[in-house]
Amino acid sequence: MYRLLLVAATVCAVVGGGCAAAINVSSHQAPALDWSGYRTFEWAAPDALPEVDPRLDANPVFGDRMHGAVASGLVERGWTQAAPTTADVQIHYHANVTTRLDVSRIDQAYGSCPGGACSPQTADYEAGTLVLDFVDARTQRLIWRGWAEMGLQDLLHDPDRMAKIVNQAVTRMLQQLPSITANRSPR
Amino acid sequence: MNAVTTPLVVVALAAALSVSGCSSMEVNSYAGPRRLETPARTYDWGQAVVQPTGDPRLDNNEFFEARVRAAVERQLTKRGWRKTSEAPAVLVHYHASVVQDLMFVGAETATGVCTDCKPEVYDSGTLLIDIVRAGDEQLMWRGWAKGNVSGLVDNQKWLDERVDRAVTQIFTRWPATF
Repeated sequence: MYRLLLVAATVCAVVGGGCAAAINVSSHQAPALDWSGYRTFEWAAPDALPEVDPRLDANPVFGDRMHGAVASGLVERGWTQAAPTTADVQIHYHANVTTRLDVSRIDQAYGSCPGGACSPQTADYEAGTLVLDFVDARTQRLIWRGWAEMGLQDLLHDPDRMAKIVNQAVTRMLQQLPSITANRSPR
Repeated sequence: MNAVTTPLVVVALAAALSVSGCSSMEVNSYAGPRRLETPARTYDWGQAVVQPTGDPRLDNNEFFEARVRAAVERQLTKRGWRKTSEAPAVLVHYHASVVQDLMFVGAETATGVCTDCKPEVYDSGTLLIDIVRAGDEQLMWRGWAKGNVSGLVDNQKWLDERVDRAVTQIFTRWPATF
């Protein structure tokens, strides 16, 4: 999947403007869970894994963006931020960066081999994964995990672009979150 | 089809094939020389070791862990083993790991020489199950399954099905002497 993201990002760069960031988003959730009982959330400290990249660990710019994007996205979906220790759900996130290998990037990006030079090319690149965990505050069990994967390129050195990507990633991740307002009668 | 949609289709197809019965899975096992200290066929889960899997989506992923455990427990029950926390005969551990690997895709001739082959990177996943003697934690049996998991983790249903299949396959190598 990372490879696809990299290809898409490369094509966007080559073709120029108009491409949205190549972000792969998906999620896992607890089976047969009734979400209608969840209304409030709070932030919690992350557990040990996935490992957080040291460049993003305790990075206030990144952290503020994540908190802001998640909080506003949840409020839009009917959630309310609660006072500490009173929430239905505790949320934490992990920003993981790994070095990945890719081959034949030129061939795949252009759909042909420039000058007929099709010998495989190898390249390392940094792949980022944002993981967002929702934990039931009462049972301390994970009830939902969403993630967004992307090729980082120079993202970590460009705060404006990082902010934009974080917003996109969080928005798309939260689209996968089960609704807490469906089938809920008004109070 | 443009350059972006082509790899999209390829990845979707690869994922669909890898979850179906078409995907190959390498399964193997190792039986140690040690014997059980008790005839009781009882087990419990050993202390979980928190370590990265190589895929952040699977690290501390309780849904994945629950699926593996349920699949292993089904297989052990089927073989007459009973789960207990009181003096079990063996402890069960498992570990999942994902690493990138290379394969060559293309026409292979009868001579084994690859013509027009292209290297492809894929995610290689390994699920390993250890059975250790409860008294001294000596390894008695290790079974594992290894295969292409590209595109699997993104789909919870596909991942669950692969976990079930991998565990079932691993236990086909369960020693008759157990």
